Amino acid sequence: MTGRTAAADEWIRYRRTARHDGLVAALSLLYETLCDGAPPHGPGGHVVAPAGFVGADTGDVMATMTVEDGAIVASRSRTAPPSVSRTPWAAWALGTTCLRFGLSERLLDAVLAHLGGRTVGDARLLHQQMVKGGVAEAVIEQLEIETMLAGAAPGDLDDGVLSALNAQITRTDRMLLRLLGAVSFLADGPGQVARVSELIADVYFGPAPAGEHGGAA
Amino acid sequence: MIELDDRTLAFQRQTRAWAQELKPLALELDRDPDAIHRHLDVAIVSYLTRMTVPPEYNPDPVVIDGHRFYGTGTLERVVLAEEAAVGDAGLLLASPGPVMSGVLVDAMGDEQQKKWFYSRIMEKPTWTFFALTEPDRGSDAGAMSTTLTPDGDHHFVLRGAKRYVGNAARADLGIVFARTRPGPLGVTAVLIETSAAGFTAEPLETIGLRGLRLTAVTLDDVRVPADQVLGRHLRATQRGMWSAVQGLNRLRPGVAAFGLGIARAAYEYVLDNRRTLNTADRHRLDRLALRLTELRQLIWRSAIAVDDNEPAAGYLASAAKARASRLAEEATLEALSCFGPGARLDHPLLDKLARDARGVEFMEGTGNIQKLNLFTGLVQGGLRRD
Repeated sequence: MTGRTAAADEWIRYRRTARHDGLVAALSLLYETLCDGAPPHGPGGHVVAPAGFVGADTGDVMATMTVEDGAIVASRSRTAPPSVSRTPWAAWALGTTCLRFGLSERLLDAVLAHLGGRTVGDARLLHQQMVKGGVAEAVIEQLEIETMLAGAAPGDLDDGVLSALNAQITRTDRMLLRLLGAVSFLADGPGQVARVSELIADVYFGPAPAGEHGGAA
Repeated sequence: MIELDDRTLAFQRQTRAWAQELKPLALELDRDPDAIHRHLDVAIVSYLTRMTVPPEYNPDPVVIDGHRFYGTGTLERVVLAEEAAVGDAGLLLASPGPVMSGVLVDAMGDEQQKKWFYSRIMEKPTWTFFALTEPDRGSDAGAMSTTLTPDGDHHFVLRGAKRYVGNAARADLGIVFARTRPGPLGVTAVLIETSAAGFTAEPLETIGLRGLRLTAVTLDDVRVPADQVLGRHLRATQRGMWSAVQGLNRLRPGVAAFGLGIARAAYEYVLDNRRTLNTADRHRLDRLALRLTELRQLIWRSAIAVDDNEPAAGYLASAAKARASRLAEEATLEALSCFGPGARLDHPLLDKLARDARGVEFMEGTGNIQKLNLFTGLVQGGLRRD
């Protein structure tokens, strides 16, 4: 082996749980394994947490969203500045990024399943060349993100890189959502998970800039 | 993220130093592709003349920090390709050597053919070529019309035309793909000498990468000895296109690295030549720097997968190559935009990079072909996902 990819099983767990078990399961795992004291707040004092998690609904509850495997609460605390949480930020930032990447992979699975089951004429919709190209574009993005995250430990990737990776995950999700068509717009489908995933990125890393590469799908 | 080991890091440092020699030659070669003949003593050109020659045929490899380098490893080749392309992509492609054809000889040649081929390579700086693409048919093997037919007396006759073949007009040796019979197993590859009667290669004027000297090749009843047919010792299913695909999988990360090098050259050009940067420009460049890092990681991953014979290697390389050709174009355009109106005229080196970048798109399969290949890997399970 001429290159190195360090083992980082702990971080892969967030990704795999998100992909195979869903958003609430993965976010719960993140909270259970990383939270120390109060849940961590984003720079604006916001929190996104699984409903029922201790400390999830302190402050003003601003939204409750139902997803496939449970409910998510978004709140904002004016009295608890970010420093109150003892959760290490570097670990949290990496953990949420890995979690979001797993959700993006789950979205790809949903696209393959959905389009693989639909037909146009006598052919599967998935096997239309434009669709193939769109899927491949998203996979290229995911391969880049995956390679960057592989073996990363907290602090290996600075906030700027993690912020950019989160923006890339959001763009990739949007590419996949466009392939799903109207299904992506339903509140009880994969589009809702992608919406909450974007919210997590927005709270902890700030809004994703529009444009840049990867918008072809 | 992937980190290079000490051996490969030493090679990276050396190739980065070598590449410094290329930049001053870039515009000269762009004006006059034959200028390569005046620069065969440049260190990186000298290395390329023997890169990929295996140890048993190369008694005099390059030694760096005590490590021997033959260029047979994909990871070290992508490291070199990036650094050399930062210096000048045109000169990298104009250099003599066996890179593309050598991979095929290594995959399909028998011992006698390898000995013959590599002894020619070691004799003197020797250009080689690889002819697969045909006029009007691209690289669609199913539609390939160049024929290889028996001609008695242990010979074959090669008849047809190839197009977009790099270096064929200056080459001594090359590999040509041709059809021996209808059907997917009817394609085979032969080693040929360009001195053979009936072989002609006419240069095609190109917009960029002019050092590569793309050509149109005509094969007008070229006689080929039977012992120059590659893959005769292999099973029928492993001859021809199957081996070509395996070979191209091995080369593809290098093509991606080549695109990465062009993109990085544009990025570095801005850093070196733009005296002040406003906040927005700085942000754009920071984003570009991260995209270069991401692509480099993906290329290294695909190269390691090739070296480890992972089934996903070709698909990873397709992803890397598709991304690299896009990034090369975007980075060079972005760099030009940092210099305002007239940048293409005022900054000829950057203009050259923008022209060169366009050539990456079609090398070793267009972006769309790479994406279709990647899709196949995804749905058929070749691209393993955790």
